[in-house]
This record gives sequence, C-alpha cells and structure tokens, in this order.
Amino acid sequence: MNNLQERIFKIIIRLLTLFSLLLLAFIIIFIFRESLVFFEVVPIYKFISGTKWNPLGPPDQLSILPIILGTVYVSLVGIVLALPIGVGTAVVLSSYVDERPKRVIRSVVDILAGIPSVIYGFVGLLVLVKFFEIKLFFPSGESVLAGGIVLAVMMLPYIISTCDESMDKMYKEYSQYSQALGVSKSYMVRKIVLPRSKKSIFAATVLALGRGMGETMAVMMVIGNAPIMPKLLSKTQTIPSLIALEMGMAEVGSLHYHALFSGGFVLVIMLLIVNILLYFIENKMDI
Amino acid sequence: MKKKISLLLCFVLIFALALTACQGTTSSEDENAGENIEESLEENGDTEEAADEGFKAQITFNGSSTLAPVMSAIATDFIEEYTTWNNVDPSFPEENIIIYVSAGGSGAGAKSVIEGTSDFGMLARDIKDEEKEKIGDPNIFLLGMDALTISINPENPLHQIKDDLSSEEIRKIFSGEYKYWDEVDSSLEHKEIVVVIRDLGGGAHGVFQDSIMGDTPVREDAIQSPSMGALVTKIIENKYAIGYASFGMVNQNEGKLIPLKVDGIEPTKENIVNGSYKISRPLIVVKKGELTPEQKAFMDMVMSEKGSQIIEEMGFVPAN
Repeated sequence: MNNLQERIFKIIIRLLTLFSLLLLAFIIIFIFRESLVFFEVVPIYKFISGTKWNPLGPPDQLSILPIILGTVYVSLVGIVLALPIGVGTAVVLSSYVDERPKRVIRSVVDILAGIPSVIYGFVGLLVLVKFFEIKLFFPSGESVLAGGIVLAVMMLPYIISTCDESMDKMYKEYSQYSQALGVSKSYMVRKIVLPRSKKSIFAATVLALGRGMGETMAVMMVIGNAPIMPKLLSKTQTIPSLIALEMGMAEVGSLHYHALFSGGFVLVIMLLIVNILLYFIENKMDI
Repeated sequence: MKKKISLLLCFVLIFALALTACQGTTSSEDENAGENIEESLEENGDTEEAADEGFKAQITFNGSSTLAPVMSAIATDFIEEYTTWNNVDPSFPEENIIIYVSAGGSGAGAKSVIEGTSDFGMLARDIKDEEKEKIGDPNIFLLGMDALTISINPENPLHQIKDDLSSEEIRKIFSGEYKYWDEVDSSLEHKEIVVVIRDLGGGAHGVFQDSIMGDTPVREDAIQSPSMGALVTKIIENKYAIGYASFGMVNQNEGKLIPLKVDGIEPTKENIVNGSYKISRPLIVVKKGELTPEQKAFMDMVMSEKGSQIIEEMGFVPAN
C-alpha cells in the first residue's frame, strides 16, 4: 500500500516537472512557428541587420537592428548606473551595518523589487522626463538615458540581494581573523570581501542585463519609442516596447503581426544567451 | 539562494514573454481572412437553435478594431439590460441574447458582409462603391465620426499668432521638413518641434496618414505614444510638442491643450459630423438587406441616445 502511494507520488511529481519543461519548449516553438512565416519572406539576417522599421511600408522595411541595439543600450546604461550603487549598498549592508538595521534595509530593498513596473514608468515619465525638459532644456525628455535611469532603479534590488549574500558570507568568515591581525575594516573590505565577491557581482550584472532587456512597461513610457539608431540623449525603442506598442493594432495574420513575433523570437534568443551565460559564470568561475 | 533567484527570474522572464505573446492570439479559427480577436458576449452556454422559425438569437459583428470596443460596450449594456430576447419584445421567444463582436479591420468587415459570414460589418472608413455593388442591397448606419485635432501646448505662442495650419504646413511639421518652430513662423523661438504620434500601424495614425500625409512618411524620431491618453499627456507636459489628439480627449482636457484649425476649419462637432473638417473618418455599420426584428431592436439601441452616449464616452463624435 505504502509502496503504491510512493509510486503515485513519484509519477505525479515527475509529470509536474515535465509540464514545466514542456511549457518552456512550447513557448519557444510557438514563437518560432509564428515568426517562421515572416522569415520566409524576409530572411533572418536581413531582419536583424536592416535599419528601417516601418509597419506601413513594404516587407523589407521591417527590420530591427536599431531596436536590438536600443534594447541592449538601455540595459547597459541601467547597469552602469546601478552597479556602483548596488555594490556599494551591498558592502555597507554586509560589513558596516548591525544585524537589526540590516534586516530593515533589506526588507526595504525587497519592497523596491515589488513595486509594479508601470509605477516606475509613471514616475519616470512625470518626474524624470519632465526634469530633462525643464531643467536641462531637452526638446523632449524621452531618451536612452531616461530609460537607463528608470531601469537602474529597477535593477538595484537584484544587484543588492545577489551581492549582499556572498559578501555577508565573506565578512562573517574573515572578520575575526582580520580583527585579530588588527587591519582596518576598509582594508579588509577592499582586499578580501570585494575581490572574493567578484563572481557574484558579475552574476548580478548578467542577471540585471536580462531583467533590463525584458522590461516592457516602464521602459516604454520613457524612451519615446522611435525606431532610430540609439544615442544616449535621443529617443529609442526596445523589442519589448515595440511588441507591446504594436501588437494590439497589428492585424492578425498580417506580415506585421508575424514580424512582431520574430522580434519576440530574437528577444527570447538574446535572453536565453544571457541566462546560459549566467549559468556558466556560476559554475565555471572560480571562488 | 542566489541560484534560486536566478532560476526564479528565468521563469518570470519566460512567463513575461509568454504573456506578451498571448495578447494577439486569442483564437485562430477562421483563418481565411485572418480576422480574429474574438469577443464572445455570451450570457449562458446552452442556447440551441431558435425554436421559432427564422428567429436568430445570435447577432454577429465583424470589422474595424476601432469600432469593435464600442460595439462590445453597447452589446454588453444591451445584454445586461435584457438578458433574454422576450424582455426586449414580448413577441420574441425566451432565449438568451448572444452578440458576437470580432475585430479584423475594416476590409475584413466589408468582406464578411459580402460573403455572409457575419450579420453586420463594421467599417472605420467610407464604404467603397464596389463594396456597395457587391453587397447589392446595403443598409448603412452612420454611428459617428472619429476625428483627430492637431493640438499644441497652451504655452506655445503659435496659437496666438495664428490658430490655423494648412495641410501643407502640417505635413511639413510631421514629416520633419520643419525641424524648428521658427521655421513654421519666424516670430517663434528657435526650438525643436516635438512631434507626438500613435503607433504607425494603428487606426488613429491611419486616419492622419490618409487625410494629411498621403505618401509622405512621418519623421522617424517622432515619439510614439502607447495610448491616446499618453499622447495628450505629452502635449500637456511639453511646451514644444505637437500631436494629433482625438476630439474626445481634447474635450476632456479643455484648456490644457489647444486644438488648431486645419485649412481654416475649426474642429467642432458640427464641422466633424458634416464632413468639412478634414482629419476624420466615419464609423459605419453595414448590413446586407433588411434587418430582422431582433437585429432592428439592437440597432435601435445603438442609434439611441444611450448608444450615442457610449460612442461619446469612447472618444468619438456620435452622429445622432
């Protein structure tokens, strides 16, 4: 009887696992199938190397190089801004703060991660974009930089929690020894905690990159959505924002509709690469 | 923990993608015309073929994605009010009201009426003569007009200098030929014109492109707003912005943005309905042949004050 229960349990658990794996496969296959229709008309290399996106024009004007670059650019700007702040916060949290305030700060950071992205976008639109227009005299505040700043705020919690965890371990492991040797705290942070957390800092960066590339709503609201080559202070468009913007109006079955799926397919591939990279970093990098 | 977070994040990203992908593919029967995004407004599942001969408890609409939400809203109201047909008129049998509204573009709407795949076709443009001919006996209802106003920020002195732009000037502004405001009028500041538009594939941009731009493309670095609301907000927030705000939105934000005349014609309700204002399109419903009593009952509701009110709430100018 017990044996039977055991076996049923095993089967159910395995089926559930299989289900989640199949889900991923189905999504990728589905997106690929939908984009195949488009790739038959416009070859994939043309799609990702062309510089013009005009859904009203002929099919060869549906290509997304500027949009791919915009996606990467906005995320990179976000990382550049978020990384120093995030790593700094993690150092303070792990090495300079007592247990009780630490817990409070950590939960605040966690709340930061839980704020819906529309809210970030909304604040970005009304505060950041307006600030650019009024104080810095931009003709229009929508820009890669605005998107990057909003993304940086959204990436912060991920960077902080990933780094904080390993730094905390390092600090606890070595604080007694360094106290015994009489070295100052900042020396210990610089020479032991930071170098030994290299791996997790790197992992946090890649994680944030993936997060940034997939972000839709907040970015869409502050970047202006113009499919042109991205420059730091000019408008741009990202793949998720492109899909969210145009999918509602694209006629089902039209080439435009399939082109949007192709954009989604490219994005999935990019994100898969990022995640595989993350996996390798976690396994291969020493320490 | 680290791994868990990353794993979790992987899944979150995947699901996010899955949800994005789901949006446009609600169903995919009826592949021949590629017109889906079906919205069923069924009250109760078990409604068999009508007992009475010739009576159809089901009405189907197909066509313009601009008009579809309006029809859905009116249909929902209609169903909520009556639930079954005998409440509409005691001579009708007691059957649940079913109204299907599906969007697939104006072309698909006309086609479905010609082929008889749906009872009504919704068009967000004038019906072409050849379509009329093919239908043979068309019954056309004008529900309202969808109009766009060329609006600017109240702080922009342009509207004091001249409150009227010609189509030619508008075309030059939106195509990027005029890059700075002082090119439009030399007394204005040398500031970059911020052009705000909706997404290029959408209905609103279609109206603008057809009535003003023609074959000239809109400048590439124009800001594409995710919604009409966002477009209006941008004009309200940015002194140097210009964009095509829908007539309904301008009325809701009176004073916060200034609509300009186009070719000397002011965007007022009268000018829009009588067709003299240029940037507009009619919203019509077409039916082949005479209406059955139950279809007439529903269309009466659409053409009634209540229907007009819903049309107005959706940001269009009702015709009645």
